[in-house]
Amino acid sequence: MTVATARSPAATGAPPGGPSRRGVLRWLLPLAPSLVLLAIFLAGPILWSVYIAFTNETLTGSASVNSQFVGFANFIRLFGDPNFLNSFLLTFVFVIGSAVIGQNTLGLVIALLQRGRGRVTRSVVNGVVIAAWVMPEIVAAACWFSFLAEDGTLNTVLGVSQEWLYTAPMVAVILANVWRGTAFSMLVYSAALSEVPADLVEAAAVDGAGPVRRLVHITLPLIRRSIMANLMLITLQTLAAFGLIYALTGGGPGTASQTTPLYMYEQAFRYFEIGYGSAIALVLLVIGALFSLVYLRLIKVEDA
Amino acid sequence: MMRRLAGSLLLVAAVAGCGSGASQENPGGKELEVLYRVDVTWPHLEKMLANAKKQYEAAHPGVTIKLTPVQGTPEAYYTKLALLNRSPGSAPDLYYHDTFQVNADVAAGKLAPLDEHLAAWPDWETQFPDSVKQAARGGDGKIYGVPISTDTRGLWYHKEVFTKAGLPVPWEPKTWNDVLTAARTIKQRVPGVIPFSMYSTKIHGEATTMQGFEMLLYGTPGGTLYDDAQDKWVAGGKNFTDALSFVNTIHREELGPRLADAHNAKLADKMNLEWFPAGRLGISLDGAWTAAAWKPTSTKPWPEWTQKIGWTAMPTQNGQEPGSVSMSGGWVMAMSAYTPHKKEAFGFIAVATNKENSLAYSVGTGDLAPRRDVAADPAYSADNPSVKFFTDLAAVTHYRPAYEAYPKVSAQIQEAMEAVTTGARTPEEATAAYARALPAAVGGAERVVAR
Repeated sequence: MTVATARSPAATGAPPGGPSRRGVLRWLLPLAPSLVLLAIFLAGPILWSVYIAFTNETLTGSASVNSQFVGFANFIRLFGDPNFLNSFLLTFVFVIGSAVIGQNTLGLVIALLQRGRGRVTRSVVNGVVIAAWVMPEIVAAACWFSFLAEDGTLNTVLGVSQEWLYTAPMVAVILANVWRGTAFSMLVYSAALSEVPADLVEAAAVDGAGPVRRLVHITLPLIRRSIMANLMLITLQTLAAFGLIYALTGGGPGTASQTTPLYMYEQAFRYFEIGYGSAIALVLLVIGALFSLVYLRLIKVEDA
Repeated sequence: MMRRLAGSLLLVAAVAGCGSGASQENPGGKELEVLYRVDVTWPHLEKMLANAKKQYEAAHPGVTIKLTPVQGTPEAYYTKLALLNRSPGSAPDLYYHDTFQVNADVAAGKLAPLDEHLAAWPDWETQFPDSVKQAARGGDGKIYGVPISTDTRGLWYHKEVFTKAGLPVPWEPKTWNDVLTAARTIKQRVPGVIPFSMYSTKIHGEATTMQGFEMLLYGTPGGTLYDDAQDKWVAGGKNFTDALSFVNTIHREELGPRLADAHNAKLADKMNLEWFPAGRLGISLDGAWTAAAWKPTSTKPWPEWTQKIGWTAMPTQNGQEPGSVSMSGGWVMAMSAYTPHKKEAFGFIAVATNKENSLAYSVGTGDLAPRRDVAADPAYSADNPSVKFFTDLAAVTHYRPAYEAYPKVSAQIQEAMEAVTTGARTPEEATAAYARALPAAVGGAERVVAR
């Protein structure tokens, strides 16, 4: 719909003599301010960070004013760095655990359970789930910190003394991220489920399909594209998650919860190796792109 | 994610942009921006600078001092300062600077040499001892900062805990083994008390390197990070492994704080504001300034400390000469090479480090005074009977090899310390990892010598 409205003025406005300069100007001119801003503030920093990933740039010392092109040295170092490989593995665990399994499944379950419930129930559940999502990352981290701390709520309720953030840091950050991010998946699935034709589900029920069969054979296939789109979005979001983990565990203890974004921060801003840090960022970018390709491909397969 | 990355870069740019008003000319005068660190439990520097601002502005109409605080740990401060220093437009005119960072900035041409101004400042000759003057000396022999503080390090212990454990008071350990034995005795006889605490994880940054590792390494026979004769960094060796073994022993025998506390950014506050006053800590390896946490100027004074806390020197490994060891560092006021108002900037440094302001700082922070007149002032040692002892440790103290590469070497040491603390690596493995990483940190294998 939006595409149609955007096209019609350009189409009618173009003189019949062919695609003239004026026609191009007509859409380029209004776009120009935002294009310039995008170029300066989006493309600029990205290109700059790509460039310094190939230099020995640092934040202090002589290399901070006189950096040199070092080719692929940062990347060679990266793939031989056990700390990077460790962070990569943790990132994988974090994405699968908190996004693909946690947020995705929980979001779907909540959306399914809400179907056909009263308005009050829906508003209350929606309100609670979305409240966690609206909350700033740092506030969410502070909540979870006081929940899991040694003299925190969880220990008080269970009557034990356990430093959860130290003994199970990955579980802690995964739980916190599921808690915070589920609302997004829930909203996506609520919207998708409302598009599922009720008569189709009813027909299946009449034919004798139980709730599980109706879900697996009717509902899920119908919302498959939403599932893929949702998976892609939350995977990318979770891949780059930083604030929550940083505030909760700082990547520790040791490197036990140091996912790649935290490792990148440590290298770039603690140890001032901004060139090396940018190389890590670039690799992360490529991984994100690969994930997106896989999901997009899956969506295409659906379409075919 | 592209947007995320770009967003974080933008954020950095925004942070950098915050300081850009620094050196701009006001319509009627000049403005000097001063960057410094502040923390809830560490307001002393801010008080001192606010006072200096008042004095300087009263004497120099037309010059405005803009105080820009950085809230947080020293590590957070280093990062903010490094980012602001990325461009002349955002660099502060003056900044509080840790001496180990000085040579990296000298190499980058970001600091202004002060020799010319110092020659015209009588206090420099009369009040600053030669050893203190070296604090911010660059590789080129020029002076790049006026010391605000200096320090030494040693052992603090709780006398009541020692008495309960049947240990002698005053305590004078002669070897590392004496220290470990005392810790083991406390563990055995005074349950519920943490026998020994030191900084040994990455989150404590330079404190882990200096208060933790170097206090051990420089106490081993011939132990050093840098071979002055060959002008090369020392790659590991037995001294290195021995130092890490001490930390390993502390944590494998559970003589230290729980690992969760060892990783807590607020460990220093826990030790000094919680555990020591509650009699829950036996021994800590920490700086001369520790008593500041208990003095009347503290945010949480503990007047009984003078009776309950004792202090002693950290012994050398086997009691070999000179018997004890200490490390010294300190902070300076430094001037940016980019400031257009060098004369005014130095004028402010001279006011900030005059007797009155230095005294206020040293009394508040508990740091050792760099100035002779401050050290001689009765107010300086009034509430702090430990001052003389820690000042005298200068006789056995060592300085860090604060060359340009030092911050990177320090990061590798923190890595090794944490690996040994958590038990992820044995001391031997951690030493080997350090030896492997060192060439890249110092700029080539030719700058490293194996031990």
